[in-house]
Amino acid sequence: MTKKYARFLSAFFCATLTLGFTANALTPDKEFSQVENRSLAQRPAFTAKDVLSGKFMADYETYVIDQFAGRDAWVAAKAWSERFVGKQENNGVYFCDDGSLITRFELSEDDQKRLESNLKYIDDFAAKVSGPVKVGLIPTAAKIWAEKLPAGAPNYDQGLVISQTLQTLTTPAFGLTDALAGHKDEAIFYRTDHHWTSLGAYYGYAALGPILGYEPLPLSTYTKTTVSDEFYGTVFSSSGVRWVEPDEMDTYVPEDGITVTSHTYDAKGNPVEEPRQLYDKSYLTKKDKYAMFLGGQQSLGVVKTGNSDKPKLLLIRDSYSDSLVPFLTPHFSEIHLIDLRYYKRSTAQYIADNGIDQTLILYSVPNFVESSLVWLGR
Amino acid sequence: MVFSTPFFLFTYFPIVLLLHYVAPLKYRNALLLVVNLIFYGWKKPIYILIMFASIGIDYVHGILVEKAKGEDNDRRARRYVIQSAIFNLALLGFFKYWDFIARSLAAVGLGFMPVLGLELPIGISFYTFQTMSYTIDVYRGDAGAQRNIVNFGTFVTLFPQLIAGPILKYKDLADQIDERSYPVERFAAGVQTFTVGLAKKVLLANNLGALWDVYKAMPLTELTTGGAWLGALAFAFQLYFDFSGYSDMAVGLGQMLGFEFLGNFNYPYTARSISEFWRRWHISLSSWFRDYLYIPLGGSRVGKGRLIFNLMVVWAATGIWHGANWNFLLWGGCYGVLLVLEKLVWGKALDRLPAFLQRIYTLFFVLVLWVVFAIEDFSHLLPYLSAMFGAAQGGFTDGALFYHLRSYLPMLLLALCGATPGVKLLWARLPEKLRQILCPLLILAGLALSTAYLVDGTYNPFLYFQF
Repeated sequence: MTKKYARFLSAFFCATLTLGFTANALTPDKEFSQVENRSLAQRPAFTAKDVLSGKFMADYETYVIDQFAGRDAWVAAKAWSERFVGKQENNGVYFCDDGSLITRFELSEDDQKRLESNLKYIDDFAAKVSGPVKVGLIPTAAKIWAEKLPAGAPNYDQGLVISQTLQTLTTPAFGLTDALAGHKDEAIFYRTDHHWTSLGAYYGYAALGPILGYEPLPLSTYTKTTVSDEFYGTVFSSSGVRWVEPDEMDTYVPEDGITVTSHTYDAKGNPVEEPRQLYDKSYLTKKDKYAMFLGGQQSLGVVKTGNSDKPKLLLIRDSYSDSLVPFLTPHFSEIHLIDLRYYKRSTAQYIADNGIDQTLILYSVPNFVESSLVWLGR
Repeated sequence: MVFSTPFFLFTYFPIVLLLHYVAPLKYRNALLLVVNLIFYGWKKPIYILIMFASIGIDYVHGILVEKAKGEDNDRRARRYVIQSAIFNLALLGFFKYWDFIARSLAAVGLGFMPVLGLELPIGISFYTFQTMSYTIDVYRGDAGAQRNIVNFGTFVTLFPQLIAGPILKYKDLADQIDERSYPVERFAAGVQTFTVGLAKKVLLANNLGALWDVYKAMPLTELTTGGAWLGALAFAFQLYFDFSGYSDMAVGLGQMLGFEFLGNFNYPYTARSISEFWRRWHISLSSWFRDYLYIPLGGSRVGKGRLIFNLMVVWAATGIWHGANWNFLLWGGCYGVLLVLEKLVWGKALDRLPAFLQRIYTLFFVLVLWVVFAIEDFSHLLPYLSAMFGAAQGGFTDGALFYHLRSYLPMLLLALCGATPGVKLLWARLPEKLRQILCPLLILAGLALSTAYLVDGTYNPFLYFQF
């Protein structure tokens, strides 16, 4: 190596590091990543305590990674590179031939234990509340669309979770596998999001009819309205994959005469009521478009339909119910929605206080094993 | 702190380089000492105190040894060497082996030692060996005692090789610590070595490590014979590229700061015998044990019985150095037995075999023993080994095996090329002009791809917390 070339190479390397250093220093920090749909780590506070424990340094490294200049492009570059070297997955998401992104389902030992506890919480809960309690489990695309996965791709069978639930519970329980599998050639799941589409939710609604005691309306009753054709969901975010087409979002049920109220508590513990809508179109301009259904996450929501002669339903649920609720509106006077991740009061008391006629615990299989239902015990 | 993080690459290291080159020559060691300590204490600052104790005690002992020797008092000099070795071994013993001994005793009903659950100070196995070499080198007259405590501290804590080697012997570094030059050719060579090391660690090792993790975590009921071998192969590549990548990064960073360290790996998977494998794998450790344990025990110029004893002692020590657990002892012990057999039984016959059979023989044992190395829990290790030899509960192959083979085939082939000197030879045969154009492009590609994988860093383990 000549001295001149060595100088060039050294300067080139130093310039590259300096470029990275400067770009990171100059890029303003972001609170939230739209693309990844999560809050980003912020610069940690420099305190003697955190420095001595090493927490400051660990947080600082995470902060550098989260706020790295051009982060979204780097994440996408890694997914591209993985595909280039022959991988058929990235960050636990499989690349399927038709452009679907499907998250692998795994059942860890912790999940298995949580499942067993959840089943116990449910039976205890059903025994202590008045009125019927039923349980429904929704398999996700990883189960219904298993044929789309790359050949031999590891994927735990969600059917095993459902059959264990059905066998163990004394509370009546139902799996929606057959109802969805019968329509697996239709667009019943989003290709880039973990939820079912409105069409998938319709088939769920149709299957729940005999269980909840209503006569489901035929699909031909509704007029399909496409509200967005540029929906990139959560699986798109976590996969890093940027080469797939966006999803289309549809609604079927008109929202006339329906009111939605979200109930929370302020910092002092006083109840706060926030009006919501069945379809909050303002979310369609944001990344998290699925939150259009009922305005996204809420601890307790109440949907009033104006059909005052109909019974009152309580759904203890995850976000799959957000797109299901529109279909249920003709059959109930009120639909109450409790999300146990946020609702920390007594659900049994709530049922008694609000004259609930029947309760449905409705979860997708992954959420059912990943979130604890311990609060049912209150 | 570890090298393969965006923080190291784009914050810590640029700052260190800048400060280092603006600092006047005579303050560079002092500056290095400070940044070394920051690097060391990054995860657990309290452990910097261990570093101070280590520096102080070995510094004093070096001078005492030299003084005793100057007065021709060999007994006293020897006593100081032993004292310093005891201190270093006690430090290592306390932090690394206390819990292991306590648990092992408790398992046979002697639970008088409490399990402390101390976090292992990062790199302790590396730097205690390094400081031990210092007093021994001074005693043997291979190096003079270091009078300047800042220079000595810099030697002990030198950040490029502090946490994962290579293990520097004081005699090899003594001159460079006191005074070194900074030719730009060395810096440029460092740039190349460092980037190659980074790419080995982030692009090859982490990738294949993910494959090993699949098989390591797989329930035994699903494990197939083919899968068990694929897993072992993935681990062999992961460990090699991780470890040699770290060594390359250390050598490269050292060069950029004006040091020349000896290399640590020389294509070990091309070895044609187990003894050759160990002349090519983690060279700084094998040569440490050779210089400071095997030769003092008498080396190989002894009777058969003594030779077997010497080899087994060295290999038990090598095994347990890699981690405080029985599987590491078993792993080292197996190598001891293999080396005894090569020296005394089948070495000559092995020499007459065709090269490809010699390689298959070597890789077979190396692969099987990596499994012993990688799985600490014997209730998992033994079924995994049986699965490799046909008694797999999941049969010979399954769909998942083909999925993983298909997904990882390009990476495995890349790794295979990288583990042989082929790439290097090819590079050397390219025309000079082409190399000059390709070199900066490859450096840029290596840095950019590594950055992409680190920024999306879902999988970036540091394998040597055990060591």
